[in-house]
Order: sequence, then C-alpha cells, then structure tokens
Amino acid sequence: MLRPLSSLRALLRRAGIPESHHGPPISRPALRSRFTTSPAANLKQLPPRPKHPPESEIEESFLKGSGPGGQKINKTSSAVQLKHIPTGLVVKSQATRSRTQNRKIARDLLALKLDAIANGDQSRTAVVGDVKRKRAASKAKKSRRKYRKLVDAGAGAGSEGEGQQVEEGREQGGEEEEGEEWEVVEETEEGEVETEAERAQDPETERVQPIEVDNTKKDK
Amino acid sequence: MPRLPPSLFWRARREISPLAAQLLPACRDLQSAANELRWIREHVQDTKSPIPAKLRVWMLVEKRAKGVPLQYVLGTQPFGHLEIKCRSGVLIPRPETEAYTLHLATPLSQQSHPAPSSLSILDLCTGTGCIPLLLLHSLLTTNPSTPTPPPIHIHGIDISPQAISLARANHAHNIALGHLPPAPQSSPRYKLTFSQHDIFSPTLLHNLPPFQKIDLLVSNPPYISHADFARTTARAVRNHEPRLALVPPPPPLGDRDPTSAGYQYQCQPQDIFYARLLEIVSLLKPERVLMEVGGWEQALRVVGLVTGTGDGEKGVGGGCGDVAGKYEVEVWRDEPAVRGKGGERVEVGGREVVVRGVGKGRAVYLVRRGSIPPSSSSE
Repeated sequence: MLRPLSSLRALLRRAGIPESHHGPPISRPALRSRFTTSPAANLKQLPPRPKHPPESEIEESFLKGSGPGGQKINKTSSAVQLKHIPTGLVVKSQATRSRTQNRKIARDLLALKLDAIANGDQSRTAVVGDVKRKRAASKAKKSRRKYRKLVDAGAGAGSEGEGQQVEEGREQGGEEEEGEEWEVVEETEEGEVETEAERAQDPETERVQPIEVDNTKKDK
Repeated sequence: MPRLPPSLFWRARREISPLAAQLLPACRDLQSAANELRWIREHVQDTKSPIPAKLRVWMLVEKRAKGVPLQYVLGTQPFGHLEIKCRSGVLIPRPETEAYTLHLATPLSQQSHPAPSSLSILDLCTGTGCIPLLLLHSLLTTNPSTPTPPPIHIHGIDISPQAISLARANHAHNIALGHLPPAPQSSPRYKLTFSQHDIFSPTLLHNLPPFQKIDLLVSNPPYISHADFARTTARAVRNHEPRLALVPPPPPLGDRDPTSAGYQYQCQPQDIFYARLLEIVSLLKPERVLMEVGGWEQALRVVGLVTGTGDGEKGVGGGCGDVAGKYEVEVWRDEPAVRGKGGERVEVGGREVVVRGVGKGRAVYLVRRGSIPPSSSSE
C-alpha cells in the first residue's frame, strides 16, 4: 500500500532536512486531508464505543436446556443473556461458540443500547446509522444515474432515424425524471433508511438472531 | 428422544436452508440448527482446503447429521480465550468446566500477598489439557502488574496416550495462535508438562515432577454411573465420546461386592475416583483442591467422603481421613461466579458447607485451613 505520509517523511529524512524545519507540526487529520480526496465527512470522528455498564448492574444468565449438564451432555451453543437491572433491558448473544466471546458481545450490545437510550441522536448507533444511510443513499443515487444514462444511450442508439422528436422526448423525459427523481429518491430513501438504520443500529443483532433469510438466499 | 414434527423440517428448509433441515435430527431445534450451520460455514470460510467450499460444507453437515459432536466435526472448541483441539477419543471440554476454571484462577492470582516463590498446579485426568491451559492463560494475563510474578509450574496427568498427545498439541496450538507465550526453555516464567499415568497406580507419586508444595490440585474425573450412562447421558456423548473419560471402571473381578474386604474404597462405584483423589490429597497436602462432580447428590456424597461422614461409610482410603479436619469444604454450582442466594449452606453429616453460585452442583472445592485466608471470592 502506498503511504504518502510516511514516504514523504522518509524523503525528507533522506534529504537531510529535519522535519522540524517545516514550521509547526501539522496534526494528523489535517495532514491526511491534504492527501485525500474523499469528503470531509469521513474524517469526522465517530463517538467512541460506549463503555460496558458496571458488573453490579448486570444480571447474567447462561441459557441451557434442562438436564444434568457436565459430562452427560454436550451442548454446542453457549448463549448468554444479560439483564440490566436499573432499566430492565435484556440482551442475548449466541453469536459464537465461545462463551467468553458471547459474554463480551452481549456486554457490547447492552452498552450500545444504553448509549442509544441515554444520548439519542448523539449516540454511537445513531451516528453510525447516519453515516451508513448517507453512504447507501449516495450509492443508490449514483447507480440510478448510471443506469439511466445507459438506458438513455441504448434508446438513442436504437432509434436514430426518428431524429429530433426523440431528442425532444428525451430532453423532456430527462427533465421530468429530474423532477421525479427527487420524489422517488425521497420515497426509496425513506424505505431504505428504515432498514439501513435498523441494521446499523446494532450490527450484532443479525448475528444474535441467526434464523435469517440470508442463508436461504445464499443457497438458492 | 421425542419425535420431531415434519413441520419443523419444512420450516428449517424454508426459513434457513435445506442443510439446516439435515442438521435438525442432531440439533433438535431450529435455533441450534441455524447456529451450527452458520458455524460450519464460518469454519469452511476460515480454513483452506483444495476441496470446494460448498462441498466441504455439505460434507461437514453430513457428518454432523450422523450425530458426531460438532466439536469433533470442526476439530475445535473455544475454551475461555483459548481454542482447544478436539479429536475423537478424548472428551470434549464442557462449558461448566470453563466456568469454574476461570473462577479458580482468581483466588490463585490474588494470592500474591505472601509472595509465593512459585505456583504449582497438578491436574489429574487432564484430557485435552483444557484446564491447565486455561489456568495458565488466566494466571499469565491477570497478574502482569506484579513486579516479579512467581513462576508457574503445571503438570497434567491422564491415563490415555491419545489425551496426552492431544494436550501437548493443544499447548503448541495455542502458542501458535498467540494465546500463550512460547514455551520458555530459558526464561522460567512457566513450565507446562503432561505425562501419561494411571492415577490408581501405587507408583503415581514417585512419577510426579518434584513439586515442593502443590497450590492447586484439580481434576475432572469420570463420574457417571453405569445406570446414568445408559439412561440420562446424551446419545451423542454415549456414541462418540470415550467411555473411559465418562464412566469409572468397575471394581476388579472378584471384588464385585463393594463392601468386600478386597475392595479398597468404601464408596459407590461411580465415586471411586474421588476416593482415590482424596487419598492423593492426604499425601500431597495441596493448598486447594477442586473436583468436578456430576450433580448435587454426587457433590454431597463427595463432601461425605471428605468429612468421613457419608451414610455409614468410614473415612477415606482406610485411615487417611485426616483430610476432614484440615480443609474447608465448599460446593460450587455451575456458575460459581454468579451470586446466587446469599449465604447458601448445606449440612452434611453435621458439618456446614458453603454453597456458591447458581445452577446444578458442579464441583467440590477444598481449601486448606490456616495457610491461606478462606476463599476471597465475594459472597
């Protein structure tokens, strides 16, 4: 991978110019922004991952079937359920085969949920959801634009003989579409937003609720 | 086993995948079929093989559908932060074992007040080596702040040569994964060894490494009675896991009557390992002892063996009954770290025994009186 920053530093060093000669040191993000063309939004810091609530507020239980346990049975899943005593929130994780891992995932989930309740729009899940939604929307828009262009080009190539009428029609259509597009965008975006935001809200829920349609899709 | 309704198979096929329907007879419910199918797919994605991925998934599902435990199908089982390799012929580590092993490491690592010169642990019936490896991991990771952590010596013993080679392989495997520091020939931070012995052999103690004192003796011996093996033991366990690790051998021929003079241990046949363990305890005098048991009744029977007050049975090992007076006895449930009903106690033969945690009776824990303050875990 090309690392412009470090290679620049290496160049400076080779030239015998101490970095301090170049005025006050520039902060990392600021420096990075000089080498990147991606929008500034990406550089915005996401809120940090929320801390786990104290263990004294958590009631932990390990879901297991009835039965003798121990050597007599061999369970494969080790689901962990946490109850946050002050709020009554319950989260469950059986994402992995590892008990230790599930305990951590469940605590992460609980922390995210509590953070979402406490901070609302400023919470990590909300902000991450926002970013994802924006990305998805811009991606959808780009792809729509691309395919419209392709369709238009195809239509233009297919019916050259009709000349101006088509041209006009296309122009008009284009304008109409422009107008329509915004509406459509709003609608579809609204639709997508829901799912995207939900998905973004807790990326682990998908793993937690593994009876998912994904599997079916993959198979067929 | 109750019959599964056909509708369940249809649901598995429709909502998850035809492969999940195939897993259903082994997994018994939709949720675990979905989970196991996901884990099988993840395993196939994470490992390399010349065989195409889809075919491998199908092969593994096929194997699992025949009832082979998932841990043997995938070859591993997570245990704490470690990954333990599993091979048929060696018992698969259980989550209950993981729970008490992690709980066990806490008081051991906090014991640094008198600054012990070393920490020695002996594990009998070690199997995959999961207990010594996880103890080692916990001790190395929880106590790095101490300026000079005491060197840790751990020795694991098993009767099965397969188990010993797997335990060694597991040590190497977790070093390769970076969970454990490389085996130190030069730096004496820890020493982990395994050896093959029969713990009933009279020469066992001569074959142990020369420990000055033993801080912890831990054991997960076979403890299922013949009747329970036939009745309450899961089919997958019965058919695929080694009987050697589950059911204690019957008394030698001619000694069929457990009360006959030739039969050395005055206890029920499924408890003979505990009788032998307590004999070893009375000779080695470890600071702490933990023995896994199969349930509440067995826990009480083992406490009875310790205190020499079991119903009509005399003290352990023909006169070695001095274990009773020298150790505090506790019974640990499945989750010893979870605080259950505060201050639960049970009376066995006129002696009050502390019960910790929630769940089924899972282990009997002994702490030597006087030498260490009684178990510091919060109650």
